[in-house]
Amino acid sequence: MTTMTEIQTTQVYQVFIVASPEQIWEAITNPEFTQQYFYGARIELVNDRRIAHGPGGELWGDEAILESDPPRRLVHQWRSQYDPELAAEEPSRVTWEIEPQEGGVSLLTVVHDQLEGAPKTAAGVSGVGWMRVLSGLKTLLETGKPLQG
Amino acid sequence: MVTYYAGVADDDRVFKALADPTRRFLLDQLFARDGRTLTELESKLDMSRFGVMKHLRLLEDAGLVVTRRSGRQKLHFLNPVPIRLIHDRWIDKYTERQVSALADLKHQLEETA
Repeated sequence: MTTMTEIQTTQVYQVFIVASPEQIWEAITNPEFTQQYFYGARIELVNDRRIAHGPGGELWGDEAILESDPPRRLVHQWRSQYDPELAAEEPSRVTWEIEPQEGGVSLLTVVHDQLEGAPKTAAGVSGVGWMRVLSGLKTLLETGKPLQG
Repeated sequence: MVTYYAGVADDDRVFKALADPTRRFLLDQLFARDGRTLTELESKLDMSRFGVMKHLRLLEDAGLVVTRRSGRQKLHFLNPVPIRLIHDRWIDKYTERQVSALADLKHQLEETA
């Protein structure tokens, strides 16, 4: 059976992590952490921008922060600057929601939406793209080590 | 590290949720097009609304489906992360061994050749 897959203009990813909201916030906004699970990207929040640099110091992203409510909510624009073809598309939006649960567990939800003007980005980040990031983030926070491979 | 905690979707729930053709069909539907209402999902199945709701609830409990409100609608989204975690925890481990076994075999063959 062949199923046609449409471009997903809203993508939702969710993961439980044994960590406090503060620890998760730190892990998504501190370049020392992000480089260990976000494809090597060093990500930091500078004023109202979310800046990402590659391992060699090259600029991978410089996007507007739309909302910041540490340690619970971060909303920023997304443009895939690591690839010129993707970078030429319309910016999309990424929302990080961190909700504390019982027993020292937090629920992290990542919503990547407003992808209507960025079909190639939508296809590129969907599935494995965000899953690797979130799986790596969970492993790093729970074991202190980056995901192998 | 193995962690068990109440209220958190663990591997058991994911495997159980996947062990049913109707639930796999629902996941395939969401994979093809994400963000659907119960009514849309129900229309694809020869099953009562209540039956579909029960399956969706099991998928939600396993973390495989996440619902978000959009205006007055409740939309269902496929959350692939739990499957990825199982992949990272289980599949990778065994494929790695397979690869290293092949590498060992290659070494042995080359040494004896």
